[in-house]
Amino acid sequence: MSADQHTPVSITSVSIDDPHMQPLARNPRRMEQTIATAMFFGLLSFVLFGVAYWMNWAPWSLGVTLGLGMVLLGFGVTAWGKYLMPKGPFVEERHEVASTEAQRDSFAAAVIQRNLGILGRRKVLGGLAGAALGVFGIVAAFPLIRSLGPLPKNSLKTTDWKAGSYLVDSTGRPVKVSDIAVGGIVTVYPMGYQDTDNGQAVDQTVLIRLATSDVVTLAGRESWGPSGYVAYSKACTHLGCPVGLYEQQLEVLVCPCHQSMFTVANGGYPTFGPAPRPLPQLPLYVDGRGYVRSQGGYNQPVGPGFWERS
Amino acid sequence: MNRRIARALVPAAVLGVATIGALSVFMGSGAGASTTSTTSAGTVAQSKAAEVISVPNAAYQTTRPNAGTANSNMQIFNKSGKLVAYGDKNVTYTAPPSSLIPLGQAVYMQNCASCHGVEANGVASNGTPGGYPNLRGLGPATIDFWVESGRMPAADPRSVQAQRHPPRLSHTEAVAIAAWVNSLDPATPYIPHVNAVSTAAVTDGFSLFALNCAACHTITGGGDALANGTNAPSLRNIPATQVAEAIRTGPGNMPRFTGNLSDAELRNIVAYVTGYIQHPSNPGGLGLGGLGPVAEGFIGLALGVGLLALIAFWIGDRT
Repeated sequence: MSADQHTPVSITSVSIDDPHMQPLARNPRRMEQTIATAMFFGLLSFVLFGVAYWMNWAPWSLGVTLGLGMVLLGFGVTAWGKYLMPKGPFVEERHEVASTEAQRDSFAAAVIQRNLGILGRRKVLGGLAGAALGVFGIVAAFPLIRSLGPLPKNSLKTTDWKAGSYLVDSTGRPVKVSDIAVGGIVTVYPMGYQDTDNGQAVDQTVLIRLATSDVVTLAGRESWGPSGYVAYSKACTHLGCPVGLYEQQLEVLVCPCHQSMFTVANGGYPTFGPAPRPLPQLPLYVDGRGYVRSQGGYNQPVGPGFWERS
Repeated sequence: MNRRIARALVPAAVLGVATIGALSVFMGSGAGASTTSTTSAGTVAQSKAAEVISVPNAAYQTTRPNAGTANSNMQIFNKSGKLVAYGDKNVTYTAPPSSLIPLGQAVYMQNCASCHGVEANGVASNGTPGGYPNLRGLGPATIDFWVESGRMPAADPRSVQAQRHPPRLSHTEAVAIAAWVNSLDPATPYIPHVNAVSTAAVTDGFSLFALNCAACHTITGGGDALANGTNAPSLRNIPATQVAEAIRTGPGNMPRFTGNLSDAELRNIVAYVTGYIQHPSNPGGLGLGGLGPVAEGFIGLALGVGLLALIAFWIGDRT
């Protein structure tokens, strides 16, 4: 190809026998056959799509026929434009964009003159528009102000666990001391709250059996782990994800969201990851009939931190 | 310039397509569940005052009825009064046949004794106690699970976690080892057989799976990394019996699910795992192994944008 074939020519002055008007394909007849074949099979695919839809075939057959049809048709149309249309390159000269200086001056003069005459005459409308916009600005701030209150008071610091609450699983079945084998874990709720939103959010607790004898996780918690049962809040102290991954030989709880690890035998202390505080431990006791129950609520707020948290 | 970039993009696109292909093969490789059942002739006795065999491993047992222990609706004793099977209509737990004890002892001495000791008490041949797990009193299901899942005999006895392999010993050899080890300190759970999996309540199985299993094994059952170099294995290739054994015995770092899951609930979970987890319905045709939205989106983006760039180059190229 000679260099002048790559030089753009004006599309308005090019003659029909100019080399720029030739198609790009070396063998246009064969290219036409190729494109025709692609378009034919595209057509066939669309027909098949219709059949597949009509016959209620598997969803993937719908995707394959529709997708193949679009790909083949798209290829055909693109190749038509690319290989069989005049190859160019062509240019089209732009005309001047800007108006003349005289036109611009007269337009500016007209705008200023009319503004003084038209807007100045409608002071009431101007004032009303301004007032509406001002009120809208104030009202738009209401959601922001509303979000500052009322204060949550004690609700962030308490759960539904009370002295004597039975520990029940998700089906409402209370846990007996002989139920769970050593190395077992079960998610428990205070009886009566297992189906409530608050129960599944802030009351959710993991009950783990570490041994058959009493377990002391920290000094001062001597009576909290009767018969090897320990219970921790299931809400991670980082962002509140359910800390449900228990590794029974390592005796660690892992949070699935950011991989915080908590020691089960040593008071739920975080040993890895972003969690800033230990998991709150629920003090337990075993009643005379063998049911595992809570001595009271958690000794600290459950879940992630908040402003007023001491 | 266009061509150079295009030449670089073609192998990238090919690689991407190959990755998707490999993933789809991996995803589709979940084998059908196979179950084992060993039955011995015996007499059926409906227990009223649950007659429990002497269990040295009471720490690993529950008193809840129909939850994997001999305290079940159905108990079958042989002529000499030994409990050979128990359970209910959902799950049958069968003792390995005592006729296999001599074979089990021989296979054990060849494959297991160097670490677990000739008395199966965890005292290795060099005499250091506590180096390896004590196998006595764990129940046949534990032994059967570890051998049948190919984890034992271990490829690397000092690794953090024994990984699943094609089993090195046959099914009969695994049951035989369980028979011999259990004869030293008889205990439960026996080897479970989940009955009529196809008619179980999979909806309940899904809820229980989401609550108890999905935290570690992920909601698609693909498994995931855990703490200190351990991982929760994929559930896509596990036969029903091994799923039930793992739930009841808690192998390795997995918790032991006993009294908080009845045998009916166990059957529902097994039905969900061997059904929907191992044969997921992928309406789009390609599940990508259930990698999760981030990984799937990344693959879609890399592949889609790469292909679109190639097409754009082809359309725009006028030479």
